[in-house]
Amino acid sequence: MNRKRALISDAFKVKRFRNETQKFGAVSKGDGPTDIRSTLETLMTLFPRKLFNDSLPQIVMKHQLYSIHNDKTLVDKELNKLREQGELLMFQLGFDADAFGLVFASDYKAKVLAGEDGRATRATVEKFLEKLPSACTELSFSKDKMLKEFRFTDSEITQLVKSGVLTVRDAGSWWLSIPNSGKFTKYFIQGRKAVLNMVKKSKYSEVLKTELEERRTTSHVKFQMKYHIHDIVGAELVESIPTTSGTLLRFVDS
Amino acid sequence: MLDSSSFLNLQRVLSLKLNPDRDVDRIHGNGINTIDIEAVEGRYMLSGGADGVIVIYDLENYSRKLQYTCKAVCTVGRSSRYVHKFSVETVQWYPYDTGMFVSSSFDKTMKVWDTETLKPAEVFEFEGNVYSHHLSPIARKHSLIAVGTTDPKIQLCDLKSGSRIHVLQGHRAEILSVRWSPRYDHILATASADSKVKVWDVRRASGSLFTLDQHNGDKSKASSEAVNTAHNGRVNGLCFTGDGLYLLTTGTDDRMRLWNSATGENTLVNYGKVCNESRKRLQFTVSRGCSPEFVFVPCGSSVAVYALHTGELVTMLRGHYNNVDCCEFHPDYQELYTGGKDCNILAWVPAPRAPDVEEESKSANQAAADQSSVNPAFQDAWSSDED
Repeated sequence: MNRKRALISDAFKVKRFRNETQKFGAVSKGDGPTDIRSTLETLMTLFPRKLFNDSLPQIVMKHQLYSIHNDKTLVDKELNKLREQGELLMFQLGFDADAFGLVFASDYKAKVLAGEDGRATRATVEKFLEKLPSACTELSFSKDKMLKEFRFTDSEITQLVKSGVLTVRDAGSWWLSIPNSGKFTKYFIQGRKAVLNMVKKSKYSEVLKTELEERRTTSHVKFQMKYHIHDIVGAELVESIPTTSGTLLRFVDS
Repeated sequence: MLDSSSFLNLQRVLSLKLNPDRDVDRIHGNGINTIDIEAVEGRYMLSGGADGVIVIYDLENYSRKLQYTCKAVCTVGRSSRYVHKFSVETVQWYPYDTGMFVSSSFDKTMKVWDTETLKPAEVFEFEGNVYSHHLSPIARKHSLIAVGTTDPKIQLCDLKSGSRIHVLQGHRAEILSVRWSPRYDHILATASADSKVKVWDVRRASGSLFTLDQHNGDKSKASSEAVNTAHNGRVNGLCFTGDGLYLLTTGTDDRMRLWNSATGENTLVNYGKVCNESRKRLQFTVSRGCSPEFVFVPCGSSVAVYALHTGELVTMLRGHYNNVDCCEFHPDYQELYTGGKDCNILAWVPAPRAPDVEEESKSANQAAADQSSVNPAFQDAWSSDED
């Protein structure tokens, strides 16, 4: 009687015990290098370009990818590969030690140059952008590096800070940054707080993901709901629980 | 290298469940802070509680029934003259036989006990609370006990002579965890509230070998204050893998990191958020004998199981009524024992499977451990629906 079931070797399945390793409703795509890129592009489309009058390149947070792909280590590795190839830039946005923003290098260069049109600092910024591909894996630059490796003068560094491409980190070192991204950070944090509150105030502090996506957003939430949901799930600010009615998001008290 | 025994062990670990048939005697009246299973036979387990009580259990099943309770063999209870005055934070068997064990406590003492008489053969006194101590599991040339207390200096005490041999200086805040390498008997890892983890060679007179750096020397990644730190918070948990090649650390920044123990390099495996609210040492453990390996980390009132090298959260083991404080893996049977604030020690045993008609191979491991799996009550005696 057991012969029929044992024909396919179930040596790799521990499925007799239907425990929590079964996932329903979770979107977990195959993890190949192209898949991370396509996930990035999908997430980029969620970014609201009109809100900033198209002056900002599309920004995606690194942890938003964790909400789509299960294997965080693999995501990290693939992102590092893309950065080394010079296609992707990573930024330390400043509000969280772990929150990194990702922008396609071509996008970044295009927007920065467009923003620098007609400004006195344009030449210096162009020079800096040309040096970027070689420095694609750095998040910050120290004074030493700027002066010796890149051969910028002090006044040129000041110009770069003025234009917003560099932000002061501490005495003698600068973060790589996106010009005019202050508004982005402000709206992002505001929206994140508002969405988290929506989850927290729901009954039992939990809400189905599909339901949350359909809720009316207050004026505090300027980005698309999906953008914020990927953010809070990836940053583990809410617990993502698979249920028979879809994914449930439960507020994590910490 | 995937041989049949490690593969079968892997299956066993993946099917860990709370076993209703295996109970551990409930002796502690207060939370259980630490447990240790002796390495020689894997038969006796020590536990230390928040009330200072120490209990020894026999894990072997002599009752011939499926359901059995691991009985407490003896106890150093509140009535003993030598019992610790405050909570016991660490207990460890002497690595070579069960004639001796060492316990350390918040009463600022570390006691070396004779198991037969349950009297301390040696008492070491310290200036501050003792968070953690550890004896090297493989040392033959020395019998040093590394002790971590509220003092930033790590003490090395000699078990045989009863004196303090050495002091390791370098940390700037209290030492929350100390661990000897299971591969080299002179390598010691220490974790401190100053966010740093240092690896020492105790044969050298100079300072530490290296300090673990979460950014692997990449100074551009974080703010300048975070140079050479293992975590962005207190580091309160240390665990070497069974082969000693990797070291796991946990910190109050809710992260767990896997390091190459020879080079100190951060392997950058991303486990996500590993909840850590412990103000003391976090006792977590790694499986041994299966491939791939798993990490068991107490997380609130459940135990999170992560795959060691991919960082994936495999499952959460739920069963305790209150916070889980410690867990220990039994290498011979791939079982997990956890103790917590609800005064219970729970045994997580791989769930028994009904044997397939085709299945012939059973490795020696399984044969020894299969006391419960071929019980007639679990065999499928009904005819199949598909017939």
